[in-house]
Amino acid sequence: MKTINIRLKKKLNEVFFIESNDLGNDYLTIYFKKITAYFKVIPFAYVIPFAFLISIIMYFLLGRLLIRLVTILQYGY
Amino acid sequence: MAINLIASLVLVMRNFFLLIFYPYKTMRKISLEKDYYQLLTIFGLVFLYFKFIYFLRNNSYPATLIYILFIFNFLLTTCFFYFLSKVFEKKLNWKSFIFTFSYSLFPTLIWFLSTSILYVFLPPPRTFSLLGKGFSIFFVAYSLSLLIWKFILFYLAIRFSSKQNFFRIIYMIILYLTWFIPYSVILYQFKLFRIPFI
Repeated sequence: MKTINIRLKKKLNEVFFIESNDLGNDYLTIYFKKITAYFKVIPFAYVIPFAFLISIIMYFLLGRLLIRLVTILQYGY
Repeated sequence: MAINLIASLVLVMRNFFLLIFYPYKTMRKISLEKDYYQLLTIFGLVFLYFKFIYFLRNNSYPATLIYILFIFNFLLTTCFFYFLSKVFEKKLNWKSFIFTFSYSLFPTLIWFLSTSILYVFLPPPRTFSLLGKGFSIFFVAYSLSLLIWKFILFYLAIRFSSKQNFFRIIYMIILYLTWFIPYSVILYQFKLFRIPFI
């Protein structure tokens, strides 16, 4: 029982060592927490499809410019 | 010493995978980290990367010089956020900034390493053929994914080290970019870094 208490205390200290985010407006704070929840656990499940969507949109908008951008980026290492 | 380093390498690898799946929880734990061997492992990996690209680049500066400059940039970044956060919160630990910012180097390291390997196997310029276009879309999506991951880790590093709220962190990042972008241009002019390694 004592071990569980110590572990619980340690966990609580770890979780509450910083204050929760407050954006000054209740609705804003609620939506902020809803959105950021997606980035807290396995963010790549959302990030990868989003990145592909953005790059396809960029291809249709920029066309050949995107291919030139990739060439520049490939020299950027 | 060797055992400590091996143990740290295992921990670094474990944290690396956890940062992919649970960035928030993992970064929170990293901010309380005390094992300096982990830093040695991460900075060792970065040094190996600079050694590797030294052989790929033409007329390049010595790898050690670029590495020293990277360490200087890294310390400058951590000090900037540390002293800026000190204005709002007195009880801060610089060690926490060092640990979290070191781990936030992973997306950077992966992007730079993969780009340099791709440079060997698929050297630029990219063509306007179907395969060239397909690769370009893939490369932009890949780079963007890593950039978003980098931003998440960078934000969390500041959040857990500085203990500030969202708006203050965004202000601090904007303030950081106001001097870091011109500074990166100077580094580019001197052909030290094409894209800043941070």
